[in-house]
Amino acid sequence: MKKSIVCLLVIALFVTIFGAAGAEDSDGKITVWAWDPSFNIAIMKEAAARYEAINPDIKIDIVEMAKADVEQKLNTVLAAKTTEGLPEIVLIEDYNAQKYLQYYPGSFADLTTKFNYNDFAAYKVGVMTLDGKVYGVPFDSGVVGFFYRSDILAEAGFKAEDLKNITWDQFIEIGKTVKEKTGKYMLGFQNTDGGIMRIMMQSAGKWYFDEEGKPALIGNQALVEAFELYKKIVDSGIAKPTNNWNEWVGTINTGESASVTSGVWIVGSIKAAKDQSGLWDVAPVPRLSTVDSKNASNLGGSSWYILDKSADKDAAIDFMQKIYAGDKDFYQTILINNGAVGTYLPAATGEAYSTPDEFFGGRAIYEDLSAWMKEIPPVDYGIYTYEADAAIMAQMEAVCAGTMTIDDAIKAAEAQLENQIQ
Amino acid sequence: MGKKLSMKGWLFISPALILLAVFLVYPIIYSFYLSFTSTKGIISSFVGFKNYIRLVKDPMFLLALKNTGIILLIQVPIMLISALILANILNDRKLAGRGIFRTAIFLPSVTSLIAYTILFKMLFSFDGIINRLLLSTGIVDHPLEWLTTPKLAVFVLILAMLWRWTGYNTVFYLSAMQNISYEIYEAAEIDGASKTQTFLRITLPLLKPMILFTTIMSTIGTLQLFDEPMNLSQGGVTAATMGPGNCFLTLSVYIYNLCFKYVPNFGYAATVSYVIVFIIAGLTVLQFWAGQSNEEKDAKKRLEKEGKA
Repeated sequence: MKKSIVCLLVIALFVTIFGAAGAEDSDGKITVWAWDPSFNIAIMKEAAARYEAINPDIKIDIVEMAKADVEQKLNTVLAAKTTEGLPEIVLIEDYNAQKYLQYYPGSFADLTTKFNYNDFAAYKVGVMTLDGKVYGVPFDSGVVGFFYRSDILAEAGFKAEDLKNITWDQFIEIGKTVKEKTGKYMLGFQNTDGGIMRIMMQSAGKWYFDEEGKPALIGNQALVEAFELYKKIVDSGIAKPTNNWNEWVGTINTGESASVTSGVWIVGSIKAAKDQSGLWDVAPVPRLSTVDSKNASNLGGSSWYILDKSADKDAAIDFMQKIYAGDKDFYQTILINNGAVGTYLPAATGEAYSTPDEFFGGRAIYEDLSAWMKEIPPVDYGIYTYEADAAIMAQMEAVCAGTMTIDDAIKAAEAQLENQIQ
Repeated sequence: MGKKLSMKGWLFISPALILLAVFLVYPIIYSFYLSFTSTKGIISSFVGFKNYIRLVKDPMFLLALKNTGIILLIQVPIMLISALILANILNDRKLAGRGIFRTAIFLPSVTSLIAYTILFKMLFSFDGIINRLLLSTGIVDHPLEWLTTPKLAVFVLILAMLWRWTGYNTVFYLSAMQNISYEIYEAAEIDGASKTQTFLRITLPLLKPMILFTTIMSTIGTLQLFDEPMNLSQGGVTAATMGPGNCFLTLSVYIYNLCFKYVPNFGYAATVSYVIVFIIAGLTVLQFWAGQSNEEKDAKKRLEKEGKA
C-alpha cells in the first residue's frame, strides 16, 4: 500500500516536471511578433481588424516585445530546433533577414508561388530571396528624408530651395550657420550609431561587403568620406550628443535641434510634438561628394516572415495575401495613420499620397518620399551588417578624438571584421 | 530492509537529482562540448581547439577582457575598503542612530539592477542633474559628455557599482565584526591602543575569512558583469558599440552579442564562457593562497616535508 503511494507520488512528480505538452495543433489563432507600438504593432492591429472582418473564424494575437527581445527569442527557439513557442508571423529587420534565412534553413515558409513579387519594390524582394526562393512579405520602406524645421532654418536665412539636393559638406556648413544665428543644434547625433553611416553608404550604392560577401572596407571611398563626415559633424559642434533613442527623439520634439535625417518611419515621432505642426518640411537626403552618390537612401525597414512549422501557417499565408498583398485601402490607412510607406506597388499611389500634410506646411511629403524611394541605389546587405557596424564604430571614438587616422581605423575595422565572421 | 530503505531514499531524492542532472550537469558538459564547435544558427561543425586559438587573436575578446580587468582592479578594492571602513564606523556602539545608517547603507542593495542603472544613466545624461549641478556651481563651463566619453563612462559605471554593492559587502563585514568579542576591544582600549591600531591589529586579522569570501564573491560578480554595462550603453543592444569606444564591452556582454546580436555562434560563445570559468577558478585559487597566513603556509610546507620524508 505504502509502496504504491510512494510510486504514485514519484510518478506524479515526474509527470509534472517532464510533462511535455503535445505537439501544437491548429487552434485558429495567428500569433504575430513585432516591436513598435506606434508603428508596426499598430499597423498589424489595423490589418488584423480587416482580416477578422473577412474571416471571423480566425483570431489574430499580436505580441509586442522590444526588437532585441524578438530577435533573442527567435534565435533561441530556432536554435533549440523546437517548433513550440514560435509565432505564425514574425517581423524581421531587412539587415538581419539573410542571417535568419541562411542559418536556420527550413524554418521559414517558402512563399515564392504564394505572392506575385512583381507587385513589390524590387530592393525589398532581393533582401528576402535565397537560392531563387522568396521567403517573406515585404513591409515598410526606410526611404530617407532630410526633415527640418522650416522656421528655424528660415531664421538662419535658408529657404527650401537652399536645402534641396545638397551634399553632407553643405549640410554641415548650414548647420554651423544655424548654430551661430539661432543657437539651435542642427541634429541630435550619437557618434557611435551606424545609422547615418549606412544612409551615406547606400546613397553611393556601396555597402561593407563585395559581391561574394567578403569584407570590403579597405579602399571603399564612400566609407572614407563617411568617416570624415562623422568627425566633421562632431568637431563642428552642430550636433547635440545623445545617448539613446529617447534622447535622440527628444532633441526633435523639444525643438532643440533643427533637423533629423532618418527613415520615413521617423515621421510618427516627429508628429508626436503636436505644437510644431506646420513648422516642418522635408528635403532629399544629402549626398556624398567624393563618390558617385544620389540624394536618395534607405535606413532600416522590415518585412514579415511566416514560420514553416507553425500550426496555422496556411491561415497566416491567407491573411498576408488578403491584406498585405491585396487591400489597397489598407495601405492608404496606414500611411495616413502611421506614416508607413508600404512597398506594395499597386497601392503606392492614391489620394493619401497626394494629400497635403498640414504638419509639413502643406507639402504632400509622401509623394516626394515615394519618388525618392524609386531612386534608392539597391545594395546587397549580406549577412554581417551588424558585425561590420560594430567593427567600424569600435574605431570611431579614436578617429573623432583625433588619435587615429581614418586609414588606420579602416584597416583595424577590417581586421576585426575578418575575425568576427569566420 | 536496509537496502529497501535506501532504495526508497534514492527514489525520494531522484526528482531533485534528475532536475540537477538535466538543468545543471548536462548544460555544463554540453556547453563544454559546444566550446569545441562553431555554430551558425543550426548549422554546426566540430572545430577542435580552433575557437580557443581564435580567441587569442580576437580583438573584441581581448578588449572585453581588458575592460573587465580594469573594472575588477579599480572597483573591487575601492568597494571592499570602503565597505570595511563603513562597517567599522557602524560597529561603534556609541554611534547614535546606528540602525538608520545601517538601513540606509544597505538599501541600495535591494534596488533592481536595471532600475538603478537607468537612474544613473539619467543622472549623468548630457542635460542630466549632475551636469546642471556642475554648471550652476561653476565647476565646469560646458556640460560634460559623461556617457559618450570612454573614461568618464567607465567612471560612471564604477560609481554606480560602488553605490549599489558597497552596502551589500558592508553587511557581511558588520555581521563578522559583531562576532568579535567586545572584551577584546575593551582590553585593547585599557592597554591604550588607538582606534587605528585596534582596527589594523584586531578587526582586520579576525575578519580575514570574511574578507577572503567577499573578495572571491566580488571577483566572480565582476567577471560576470552584465546588467550595468548593457543598460548604461547607448541604446543597449541596438547600438553599434557597447558604450563609447566599446568601454562597456565586458566578457558577458560579448557572450550576449555573439549569441543574439551577431550571427548566432553559440559554440564560440561557449568558448568565451569557459574562459571566464578558467579565469575565475585561477583567481580563486590565487586568492585562497594569498589569504592563508604565513603560519598556515609554514605548517603546510612542514607537513609536505614530513610527508616526503
